[in-house]
Amino acid sequence: MVADRSPRLDLVFHALAHPARRAIIRQLSGGEQNLSELAAPLRMTFPAATKHVRVLEGARLVRRRVSGRQHLCRLDAAPLKAAMLWTEQFRRNWEARFEALDSLLDELKSAEQSRTRRP
Amino acid sequence: MNPTPTTSPKDLQVSTPTDTTIVLTRTFNAPRRLVWEAMFTPDRMRRWMLPPPGWTLTICECKLRVGGALELAWKSEDADPVMTLRGVFTEVVLYERAVHTETMALGSGQTIGSLLEKHEFAEKGGVTAMCITQTYDSKEARDGAIASGMEQGMEAGYQQLDAMLAEPA
Repeated sequence: MVADRSPRLDLVFHALAHPARRAIIRQLSGGEQNLSELAAPLRMTFPAATKHVRVLEGARLVRRRVSGRQHLCRLDAAPLKAAMLWTEQFRRNWEARFEALDSLLDELKSAEQSRTRRP
Repeated sequence: MNPTPTTSPKDLQVSTPTDTTIVLTRTFNAPRRLVWEAMFTPDRMRRWMLPPPGWTLTICECKLRVGGALELAWKSEDADPVMTLRGVFTEVVLYERAVHTETMALGSGQTIGSLLEKHEFAEKGGVTAMCITQTYDSKEARDGAIASGMEQGMEAGYQQLDAMLAEPA
């Protein structure tokens, strides 16, 4: 269990475990935005948006820089990759089973079709 | 009769929408009655529930009704059982939805983890979308399940490849 005890990964999963934060990530995938731009379409107050951005910053998914009075946020997708790799093996394990299920279903379908075709 | 597409976007999607859940979604080129039966009929379950290499599925029982038991056990060269899975169905809506509890334990009886597993099926034009939602007792248990997938995933893949190579084309 190499990646089993990864505090960084914990932070990433925690950050992703909220719809508002996933929405923020989606929005930032279109490019850098300031906090008010982020908050408006999510119908979020400025403090609420700030709170969520802080969590994302903690997971290093978002980087924030201050330019004058603007707090500009941008996405850093690298930790997302680590999270995806972690689930990828779990996904493959199930996919292998489901591919076996695909073959079984094909077999069951042809068995039924040949039964109905017979008089 | 509607033509059934020979290919479809079957790709398995795995997501972790909350700290304690794993959601798997997958489509199958078959009516949902067949998918349902393959998922919950013991002799059909045996066909696709690939055990890790060296393991054999010894017990496979599935009483598909509310209060009905789900019981699986595997043996290895070293232990019989090496692992058990026991659960009870809490909800069954024919061809639509089935929910069961699930507790995994080592052969020694030591519990590895418990979860609630919900299966949902929707059919469109002979293609069935299945969604499995696993809800674990804790985030640690959820993460543990993903981590054990990491260990077994590679092996399950190789095992399937072995099986394919062994079968005459």
